[in-house]
Parts: sequence; structure tokens; C-alpha cells
Amino acid sequence: MAHYQFESDVRGPRAMLAFARQHTFVAVFGIAMPVLLFAAFIGYPILYTIWLSFHEWNGMTPEKKFVGLANYAYLIGDDYFYTALANNFKWLVVMLVFPVSLGFLIAYALRSRLVYAATLLRTVVFFPITMSLVAVGLMFLLILNPLFGAFDTILRGLGLGFLVREWFGDYKVALYTLAVVSGWAFTGIPMIYYFAGLGDVPKETFDAARIEGAGHFSLIRSVALPQLRPVTAVVVMLTLFESMRAFDLVATMTKGAPFGKTNVLGYVVYLESFWNSRFGYGATLSVAILAISLALAALVLGKVLKGAFDD
Amino acid sequence: MTELSMRRPASRSRRLWQLLPKISGTALALLIAAVWLGPILLMVITSIKSNADFLAGPFSLPGSPTFKPYVDVWSGLGFDHLLWNSLIYASLGSALAVLLGLIPAFALARFPVPGKKLIFGVLLTGLMLPQQTVLIPLYDTLRAMHLLDTRIGLIIVHGVYGMPMQILALRAFMTTIPREIEKAAHLEGATDWQVFRQIILPLSVPGILVGYTLNFIAIWKEFVFGLVFLNSEANFPLTVGMLKLNSDRYISVFNLPAAGLVISQIPIAILFLLTYRKLSGGNFVGAVKG
Repeated sequence: MAHYQFESDVRGPRAMLAFARQHTFVAVFGIAMPVLLFAAFIGYPILYTIWLSFHEWNGMTPEKKFVGLANYAYLIGDDYFYTALANNFKWLVVMLVFPVSLGFLIAYALRSRLVYAATLLRTVVFFPITMSLVAVGLMFLLILNPLFGAFDTILRGLGLGFLVREWFGDYKVALYTLAVVSGWAFTGIPMIYYFAGLGDVPKETFDAARIEGAGHFSLIRSVALPQLRPVTAVVVMLTLFESMRAFDLVATMTKGAPFGKTNVLGYVVYLESFWNSRFGYGATLSVAILAISLALAALVLGKVLKGAFDD
Repeated sequence: MTELSMRRPASRSRRLWQLLPKISGTALALLIAAVWLGPILLMVITSIKSNADFLAGPFSLPGSPTFKPYVDVWSGLGFDHLLWNSLIYASLGSALAVLLGLIPAFALARFPVPGKKLIFGVLLTGLMLPQQTVLIPLYDTLRAMHLLDTRIGLIIVHGVYGMPMQILALRAFMTTIPREIEKAAHLEGATDWQVFRQIILPLSVPGILVGYTLNFIAIWKEFVFGLVFLNSEANFPLTVGMLKLNSDRYISVFNLPAAGLVISQIPIAILFLLTYRKLSGGNFVGAVKG
């Protein structure tokens, strides 16, 4: 029957119109409706933010004053912006090193039956995925508390008391504390992705290498990692966006203190817009986040994900 | 000869020797598990300590377990409101997301929709978009529609922002449904709606359940939208209401915030225990892999 097409392509306005007439239900609810919703709630807001970044607005008055590139000029000279940007990158590096590689190693250990109690390990590392970062943040505020916290007590008990720091007060340490806590909550994600990815690698590939006498180190290096490149791309993307939009932990645990040393871009947007009522400049910072995220994402995608979404 | 020696059963000491890597690996695994389980167990233990027990140190056992912290923090923060609100946002928000995502997923899974590649790009952008990028316009739009500081406003936002994930996940699920039944149905003259309603929808139930659960958890965890779009405490979800725990009134003795944390996590922990086999099996991984 001609009216149910599976294979043929719809190209050009006439074909589209014919398609819409034959498949009105699909065209309206399957294509037009989501496109409209996307345009209204995601596309329009992004464009509005870009537009607003060229204006000055206190969030209350109806008129928004056009100021050209003034907000961007201010951005370039804004120390808070650079601190926050640098913090986002430090956050990203911590996230790539700690949860991603640990998540991979756990997944590898689970798949190659290197450990007993595999289900226990997988379950407890995955569990924080269900916790809000507000809850995680509050929990680690208690655990890392300098007076009553469990962590310092453990360090001192192990004779490592010299490592004890003011985890939130020391401006050199505070941001890394937040990033590591964020990594603790995130490790389940890379673990699950790599766990699923390793399940898709044909068993024979591993067996062949193993018969040739490859140890775990060379198995990981020359079999697992090359086979998992697409998974790694997705995991790196997720990590990237997770780091660029970091907000919840900062708002819960430090509010940027000490001295704005734990500010991240997402938190500065919030402060400038909703506390300082500088919505125009807040929008400029938002555009910066978006541009940086997309540039980094394009870098990752262009390198590794070519054609991953072809049908 | 070599064959024979390979078949000879290993002696007991030799077998132990072979197990050594696995045993040491397990020791390491248990250490890692302790790092993830420890903080949570510690919170549970702290939450039933009396003030005196708390002052005895973080690892002291509760000498006289008490539920007073739970009672105090429940009434202090109004957990009945917070839990109810979070339940409303998570259940209705993800229901909306699934509803919005179903037919687009059907369209992408079964029809030659033009510009598929672009659509996937846009969906991924919507999925990963830093929320801060859209906060101000959404705030403005919601205010113009008189939906600021209303439950319905937040539900709509959650629903629309859950849609990209649902489209991707449901499409991935629907492509695994064999097409033979539909082809037969079409030969019988069934419309697209009938195919969707009577074949695809019933067969997609497992995928819908996984997608719904993941979205439920995501909204339960969500913080930024609730923080910015709501003003009255009566509308706060857990994440926003719980911020109060980080104030001198509650954080001076840890049993109160610990009890609050446990309360906030109990519903989602139950959901987790019921579903984690499905969720951690990597079902949702397929959605993003395309």
C-alpha cells in the first residue's frame, strides 16, 4: 500500500505536503506539535537570552535599554567571570579524572568478573544518582564539618591528620571539595554507560587478546578503550555539560564563599540576574556558558561521534 | 602430554593462588563500596541519635535511639508539604513529558521524517542545555502568563524539558518493535492512529515505564527551576525547601539535618529498590547512543 511509507525519503515542499495529507495525525502530533513546543520553550528562550545580552534591564521595568556590546565589554574585564570560568574548567578536569576513570574501572572489573560482591558495588555506586545534589551537598557539609565531621576523624585515626584542611574555608581547597563531592554523586553515570558498552563488545575480541597473553592493562588499552570510543564520547559530553552547568552544590554548600573563590558560571548568572537585578549582564553570562559548552561539545562530537545518529 | 597436564585438576593451594587477584580485587571493591555507602549509613545512624549521643563523636553508636529529630525536622520544615509538592511535580511533570514524547517518538521511529539528523541534534541540545541559559526568558514568559510561583507553571516547564529525553528513549525502544504486525494492520486499512493506539502503545509499555521512572527521579532531584520560578514556601519542592537545613537553627546538632536528608530520600530509595535492576541495566543508555 502506497500510503504507508517506510523506505522512501520525503524531500521538497510538495512531498512534505503530500506526506502531511496522508499522515495528518503523525504530521500534527508527531512533528508540528513538538517543533512548536521546542520553539516556544527552548528555541525562543535561547534567542531571547542572546537578544537580552545586548540590553540593560533590571527585570522590573517594561523597557529594556539597548547598550550594544557594553555587556560583553564588561564581561571581558570582569574578574568574577574569569574566576568562575576557571572554576568550571577545574571542575571539568576533576570530573574527567575522578568519576569517569573510576566509573570505567569499576565497569571493567564488573564485566571481567574481577570481584565478588559485584552487585553490591554496582548498586551502591549507582544509588547517589537518585539523590538530589542539594541532599548530597547537605550530607557532605555534615561529613566534612571541621568540628563534628566524620571525614577529619577518619583521617586523624589513620594518622593522616596533617591532611586535614578547612574543606570549605580554605580558598585553595574549597572548589576542589565541591568538584570531588560532585564526582562522588556522578560516578554511577559513567559506570553504567561503560558497563552497558562493555556488554556490547563481542566476547571473542577479548578472548582473542587474552589467548595471546594480554594482561588486564593491555586489554584495557588495546581492546576495551578503542572499542568504547563512542561510549566515551557520550560520557565525556555528559560530564562536560554536567560541569558547565554546575550550580546546585555551590548554592547549597558555599554560596560562592570564600571571597567568590567557589563561584561557577551558573551561580554567577543566578546572582547577577536574580539578586543584583542585572538581567542583561546575566544573559551575557548565559550566552558565554552556552557558547563555551557548544564549542567543547562540537570538539568532542566532531572527533568521535561522526555518523552515530545515522539510521 | 600438554593436554593431559592442562586437564589435571589444580591442587587446592594452587586454586587459592589463582583466586588471589579476585580476592584482593574484592577487597578493593569493598573499600570503594564503603566510600559510597558509608556517608549514607552515617546519615541514617546520626539521624536517630540524641543530642548527647551526637556530641560523643561522629562514629559513636546511638546509645538511646530516638525519633525526636524526625519529629522536630518534620514539623520545622513542613515535610508533609515538601514531599507532597515533589510528588506532584515529579509524577505530573514526567507524565506530561511522556505524553508529549510518545507520538514524536513514533514519528521518528516509523516515518521518513525530513531532517532527522538535525532533529537529533536539536533534541540532544535540549537534553543537555545548561538550564541557566534559559532561566531569564522562562522567568519572563511564566510571569507574562501569570504562571510564576504556581505549581502548574513548574509542571509545564518540567514536562517540556523532559520531552527531549522521552522522544529519544521512546524512539529507541519503538525501533526494536518488529514491523510485521503494523504492515499487516495497514493492509487491513488501519490508520496511523489505530496503529499507534492498538499496536505501538501497548508494546511500548516497558519502555514507557523506564522513561517515566527516570524522568520522575530527574524532576525529584531538580533544583534550579524550583528555586527561580517559585517564591512561596507552600509551593516549594523538597530540594528548595531543604536549603533551610543549612542554617544555624538546624545545623548546630547534626541529627536534625540528617533526619531531614533521610526523610527526603526515603520515597526515591523505595522507587530505586523496586526499579534499579531495570535502570542500571543500561536501558536508557541506548537512547543516547542513538
